[in-house]
Amino acid sequence: MKNTRVTAEASNHFLMQRLTALVLIPLLIWFCFSIALLPQMTYEVLISWLMSPFNFVMMLLTLIISFKHAHLGMQVIFEDYISNLKRRNSAIIAVKILSYLSMAIGILSLLKITMGGQ
Amino acid sequence: MAEFKLPANSIVKIGKTFSAPKGGDKEQAKNTRKFIIYRYDPAIDENPRTDTFELDLDNCGPMVLDALLKIKDEMDSSVALRRSCREGICGSCAMNIDGGNTLACTKSIADIKGDVKIYPLPHQPVIKDLVSDLTHFYEQYASVEPWMKNDTEIAPDKERLQTKQDREKLDGLYECILCACCSTSCPSYWWNSDRYLGPAALLNSYRWIADSRDEATEKRLDDLEDPFKLYRCHTIMNCTEACPKGLNPAKVIAKIKQKMIKRKIS
Repeated sequence: MKNTRVTAEASNHFLMQRLTALVLIPLLIWFCFSIALLPQMTYEVLISWLMSPFNFVMMLLTLIISFKHAHLGMQVIFEDYISNLKRRNSAIIAVKILSYLSMAIGILSLLKITMGGQ
Repeated sequence: MAEFKLPANSIVKIGKTFSAPKGGDKEQAKNTRKFIIYRYDPAIDENPRTDTFELDLDNCGPMVLDALLKIKDEMDSSVALRRSCREGICGSCAMNIDGGNTLACTKSIADIKGDVKIYPLPHQPVIKDLVSDLTHFYEQYASVEPWMKNDTEIAPDKERLQTKQDREKLDGLYECILCACCSTSCPSYWWNSDRYLGPAALLNSYRWIADSRDEATEKRLDDLEDPFKLYRCHTIMNCTEACPKGLNPAKVIAKIKQKMIKRKIS
């Protein structure tokens, strides 16, 4: 057998992927219904919707957990289908960076909207 | 990337056709069925091919293995296949029949509609015709150390006893005959068989994890703590669908994952 990378993180990864998936179910249902129930889809309405503390926290959680879930899932897909180790590891690192970067931009945007009010 | 296309020298061509032998009264057989069989001979520098054999089912046993042996005995003795017990206990005649992995000796011809297509086990190196190279599969089985391990000394004339309930925990596990139908039906095993142990090896690992007499459970779970050995299973369930012994390797793998998570959070 080829060298098998032993890492104690395997179970953590598995557990985290399931947990984030479970938490995303109510969060995404909340998100879809909240957006669908908005009276108008205008900039001002969306801003005032985000200014509500409950919506802000829920949106923050949705952002963080969905990007975390996305990169955990993409890592598994890359490990499954990219057999070249260099390409595989590069793709995993790239998607991780992209995911955390998107998460950070999302959080900063939310903070800016709620604190600055625009 | 994972290989989705066959290399040029692996593309299967159409081979020869053998008609059903005429009976003693020189009349053409009436109840016939076509058997399309994968043929590959490494000694010949040719692509693999499928030969078609027309068989008189009125003059043949009921199982696919009966048909294969009739073909080998009466039509083309060069057809290569493994077989031994002809009653589903040795696992030798595992092959891909009618699109699914199963044992030729327990697969009834009557259960197959239309032509009977027979290929070797998928995604394994082919030695010849229907004989695939299972060396790596057996190495993976050996890697889970499928024997009882314990440090507790016991007198040589004593047995290691277990309760009836503990013994029942091994049902659905000990029956595995290592035919490789499950592992070779698993897409995860196709893409990553160099590192993913596959359903058969994992089922056999759990056979010892679940054994109350074995004292190496933690060590066995430690060995499986790896993103590939265990966690390449994505619960596709092909293994359970394919198992000719009616076992459920997918459920067993889920039980191993449960044990891994329980000890993580406890």
